Amino acid sequence: MTRDALLSVRDLSASVDEKTILHHVDLDVAPGEVHVLMGPNGAGKSTLGHVAMGDPTYTVTGGSIVFDGNDITELSTDKRSRAGLFLSFQAPVEIPGVPLSSFLRSTLDERPDMKMKNKQFRKTIKELACELNMDQAYLDRELGVGFSGGEKKKVEMLQLLLLKPKLAILDETDSGLDVDALSVVSQGMDAYRERCDGTLLIITHNTRILEHLDVDRVHVMVRGHIVAEGDASMISDIDENGFEQFIGADDASEAHE
Amino acid sequence: MDAKTIQHVNAMPAPTWHRLHMNDTDVEIPAGLSVVHEVTTEIPAALAGAPDAFDAALAAEQVEWEKTHPEKTPEQRAEEERLRTEEEKTTYGGTAYSRYQIGADAIEEARSLARAFETGMGADAYAWMREVAGDPIVIAAPAGEPQEVAVRVAAVPDAVNVAAIDVVAAPNAEVTVVLSVDSPREGTGVTGTSLRVFAGTGARVHVVRTQTDDATFIDMDDAGLFTAENAFIDVRQTVLGGAKAYTGLAGDIRGTASRIDIDTRYLGHHEQQRDFNYTLRHHGEKTLCNITANGVLSGTSKKTYRGTIDLVRGCKGAVGQETETVLLADDGVVNQTVPVILCNEDDVVGNHGATIGHVRPEQMFYLASRGLSQEAAENMFVRAIMEQAAIDAPDEPSRDGVMRLGSHLLDNFEGFLDEEEA
Ligand SMILES: Nc1ncnc2c1ncn2[C@@H]1O[C@H](COP(=O)(O)OP(=O)(O)OP(=O)(O)O)[C@@H](O)[C@H]1O
Ligand SMILES: [Mg+2]
Repeated sequence: MTRDALLSVRDLSASVDEKTILHHVDLDVAPGEVHVLMGPNGAGKSTLGHVAMGDPTYTVTGGSIVFDGNDITELSTDKRSRAGLFLSFQAPVEIPGVPLSSFLRSTLDERPDMKMKNKQFRKTIKELACELNMDQAYLDRELGVGFSGGEKKKVEMLQLLLLKPKLAILDETDSGLDVDALSVVSQGMDAYRERCDGTLLIITHNTRILEHLDVDRVHVMVRGHIVAEGDASMISDIDENGFEQFIGADDASEAHE
Repeated sequence: MDAKTIQHVNAMPAPTWHRLHMNDTDVEIPAGLSVVHEVTTEIPAALAGAPDAFDAALAAEQVEWEKTHPEKTPEQRAEEERLRTEEEKTTYGGTAYSRYQIGADAIEEARSLARAFETGMGADAYAWMREVAGDPIVIAAPAGEPQEVAVRVAAVPDAVNVAAIDVVAAPNAEVTVVLSVDSPREGTGVTGTSLRVFAGTGARVHVVRTQTDDATFIDMDDAGLFTAENAFIDVRQTVLGGAKAYTGLAGDIRGTASRIDIDTRYLGHHEQQRDFNYTLRHHGEKTLCNITANGVLSGTSKKTYRGTIDLVRGCKGAVGQETETVLLADDGVVNQTVPVILCNEDDVVGNHGATIGHVRPEQMFYLASRGLSQEAAENMFVRAIMEQAAIDAPDEPSRDGVMRLGSHLLDNFEGFLDEEEA
């Protein structure tokens, strides 16, 4: 599996301010697959997403991250992005003074294979906004400023569909959405998979969004450890029995350290 | 022309601690420049004014003003003096009673509108600019339909090209003055506009200046404004280019219930320097002013902003407000701001607010996660301000200037507006 994996996280440990958050994490995602990362609040799921993306807030204290055949453990965040890795933020930031369209334009300009004429660009982003049921007026508004939680998540989906990464980590992109927005986002996930053979690592607490997705593998994280892995059947198990069954399992793995 | 240093340009009225090196600046005019007048105008014939129109308007206003502001009797003066507290006699707006205040008092005492009138860059810069500009372009707007005029200054290689412009708006007139300063040809040199505006009773004057010089030119934007009763002047200054850009604006908000609004947008990158000085003096009762400055600085650019709102004794009910927002996209930026509210009147409001935003690490990480390097992120901020300027440009030639400069600075800038129309 490792040999074919698109993303291969090996024995990864990471800390912030001397405090270790991720402990010897192993996780593989093969191309075209849909993986789910679950775990209680504060387990370290978002941290894993950020470390995979190269967030300088965290220090990698051990292990490696291999993406698309290259060791990216030391690579800068912008280069990881251009290599085809994408992280949809649990809490997208605001950039006052920068219209969303100017920002999107800049993200494309950095990708030689995606350069397009302005006319084409405008057309593309308008179509995507329409597909995601977003008012086109958002394109001219300052990035994130005054956007509702749901609108921010849609902007993340818009970028996923625009940039067409090889692998997308979606960190609670489905949380805080109303029913309609939820179906728009899940259609967006389908579209991403269809259009570019997308690979997904979905971090979520809401198993509903997974119902119509073909989930290949589930990983469970507790207190910074991967404590269980299995097939899609784990989802309904967790839904019924919660994470209780895994708590304590991390003590066992800690004992090996 | 020999090299010349114009000293004490953009001086703050009430200086701060000199060690901050912010009280004023010097403008260095390089040697070997010729003086040219490559200025085009679009002024309807009916708006051409007599050469002395501005001074004549101020002199006529002097007569009117004296009628409503009679000189105080010795008894009134004695009473006023008695009512002033000891503190008021020794301090002014919280600053020590200074040489500045003695000078300012003398100007108030003289009761001369002409003597009180000033421009933001100061007397030396004004004299030099008027000398190199030659005869001023005089615009006299009559009451009636709103009018629009334009004055365009094209930078000329190895030359100083400055336009002097006097605008006199008759009572209840409305006029828009578009000033565009651009550098269609490559080279080094100086561009400038020296503007005086007299807004008569109830007149409305809109000034929109767009400067898009390449980074090899120096630009000087000097202005002095006067408002009679109920007059309103708004000024929008967009400073996008030039190695060094100096902007000085002074306003005498003289007539009751008159108002001046300033909206400045600027961009500084690489080693560019931006130097702003605003001095707005509330003389009339119920006068208003509002200064808004918004900028983006990146690279190792440097900006100094001085904004003084002077609430002169007698301006009861006046409200002055200044707000500055600047985004610093790089740690190498030098950003200096001195907002000053001078207050010698009780029944007034003076506010200033400044928001200085460094791009925070989590914002940089977000941008990086979408593939933007530090350099690309800075370019994005430049793009954002250039695009906004193009969208808000007052007319085609001003927009063409923005598009010309933007296309020099950024890939793929041309034509971003085309499909908007489609
Ligand atoms: N920058 C940081 N500074 C300090 N502590 C941090 C930082 N980032 C994460 N942590 C801590 O690490 C732990 C894991 O946080 P993380 O956000 O990764 O959890 P999560 O699994 O995504 O939780 P949730 O389901 O609530 O989103 C938490 O205890 C959190 O407080
Ligand atoms: Mg999280």
